[in-house]
Amino acid sequence: MSAQEYKAPESVGRLEKRALVVGVLGLVVSIVGWITKPEDFFRSYLVAFLLVLGLSLGSLGLLMLLHLTGGQWGILIRRPLESATRVLWLVFAFFLPIPLFGMKFLYAAWLDAPKTGEGALSPLQQSYLTRGGFVFRGFVYFAIWLALMLLLNAMSRQQDVDREDRALRRRLKFFAGPGIILYVFAMTFAAIDWSMSLSPHWASTIYGFLFVAGQAISAMSLMIIMVILFSHAEPFAHIIQKRHLHDLGKLLFTFNMLWAYFSFSQLLIIWSGNQPEEITFYKSRLFGGWGAVAALVLVLHFFIPFFALLSRDVKRNQAVLPKIAMWLIAMRCLDLFWLTRPEFTSRALPTLWDFAAVLALGGIWLWFFAVQLKQQPLLPLGEPKLAEAIANHEH
Amino acid sequence: MNLPHPELYGLLGEFDSPERLMDAAKKIREAGYRRIDAFVPFPVEGLSQALGLGRKHDLVPLLTLIGGLGGGLTGFFFQVWVNMSSYPMNIAGRPLNSWPAFIPVTFELTVLGGSLFAVFGMLALNKLPQPHHPLFNVERFKRASNDKFFLCIEAHDPKFHLEETARLLQSVNAQHVTEVRDED
Repeated sequence: MSAQEYKAPESVGRLEKRALVVGVLGLVVSIVGWITKPEDFFRSYLVAFLLVLGLSLGSLGLLMLLHLTGGQWGILIRRPLESATRVLWLVFAFFLPIPLFGMKFLYAAWLDAPKTGEGALSPLQQSYLTRGGFVFRGFVYFAIWLALMLLLNAMSRQQDVDREDRALRRRLKFFAGPGIILYVFAMTFAAIDWSMSLSPHWASTIYGFLFVAGQAISAMSLMIIMVILFSHAEPFAHIIQKRHLHDLGKLLFTFNMLWAYFSFSQLLIIWSGNQPEEITFYKSRLFGGWGAVAALVLVLHFFIPFFALLSRDVKRNQAVLPKIAMWLIAMRCLDLFWLTRPEFTSRALPTLWDFAAVLALGGIWLWFFAVQLKQQPLLPLGEPKLAEAIANHEH
Repeated sequence: MNLPHPELYGLLGEFDSPERLMDAAKKIREAGYRRIDAFVPFPVEGLSQALGLGRKHDLVPLLTLIGGLGGGLTGFFFQVWVNMSSYPMNIAGRPLNSWPAFIPVTFELTVLGGSLFAVFGMLALNKLPQPHHPLFNVERFKRASNDKFFLCIEAHDPKFHLEETARLLQSVNAQHVTEVRDED
């Protein structure tokens, strides 16, 4: 088969246009928010930024996992994953307003903390949580992720040209192992900087993993939606089979359980320890209005997708599975909202800016993603196991 | 119904390759037989489908779900009952219904209930353990665990007729057709 046959179907072009329209509309409202209510707006912006960061980084993580394990499940989504990682440049641009304009609205808790006396941070924290350190580390995280992204994309493109070069396959694997460690390490520190430091007196060692697991959910959900979108047109209508959906559905199910497991582990340890400095996180999130949001996260993010995805028929259903995937991306917004917002307000309701920022960043992200999808054939033609992965043997 | 054969279990056809067996299974189902079963020395892909053993009739997933839910609910509410009613104790000022602490046991009992129901449900649905089976009376059947492929049409199939069914088995290339009798 030639590369021409696997180019992005027309639906990707439609996605590109619609996403841009939504993104620009969101951006217009966002700019109004930025000017009129910068304090409220940046709280919303943080949620939206963490969401689109998850789409790109989750794809980077899944891509490296795929190179490491070499499973057939990922060959079909390898190119969409690579396209999503290339949007990381845009996510980096989305990061810049936070250190440039948003820090005083978001991180006042440690920027303006007293140096001594009541409420003072420890000397270590005072030396770590500084404006310069925050900006410098932010650039380091993105440097790590962008380097991994460029490396993996370059080798994958090379594989399309030198189809017989088996050493490339080994080299991809060789970089993917340390790459996953670097990604998780950088994400742990990034989660501390960007989200955990909203409440600088509270700390949790599993916090970074909450984000890593959430990013895997976001990315896998997006991949399921894309696979179904491709499957509406030839040649993908004949390539994508129920067994592919079954594999992706099982992984989505697993990641959702992993996220629930990490989230609950944190609660169980803090609940059992019952230390005054630790329980603050849940005191502001499990009672009152935020308690209701917590219950929603538990039921809507975990229980409903869990029981739906338990069924084999649902995982193989091309009408239902993408709906669950879209639902889970929406639930990622809810979870990020619940993780960050209670540090600012006890009012557990979203603002107009929440919707505007998510639509702006999400729309522009999707637009750039669609642009990236068009650049390469949608199947990795140099992948040795490609023929096996798309062979039609449905049972 | 045809003449009753009280001690007759069914007719056993012997094949020498999995392809012939699959082909025969499909043709026999097309002929309207439903009470058929196959015996092979190794798993043959697609055989269950050829025999018409759909997932629709598979009760194991449902049993596992019931077992898992039953185990989980028992585990959770047993702890609620112990801690709130049977032996309430104030542990470091936490509420008596200290639900996060109950989750690990709830999870374990969900797994236990689900797996017990899955294993024993599967055994019960297969009517196992079964020390004796009429097929053991057929000397040639021993090769089902070695190099031969067998297809049995059971006598209580509504379409079963000793001579016609035997002819059908021969027409689908069975090398041997044996009457299986349940006798001592």
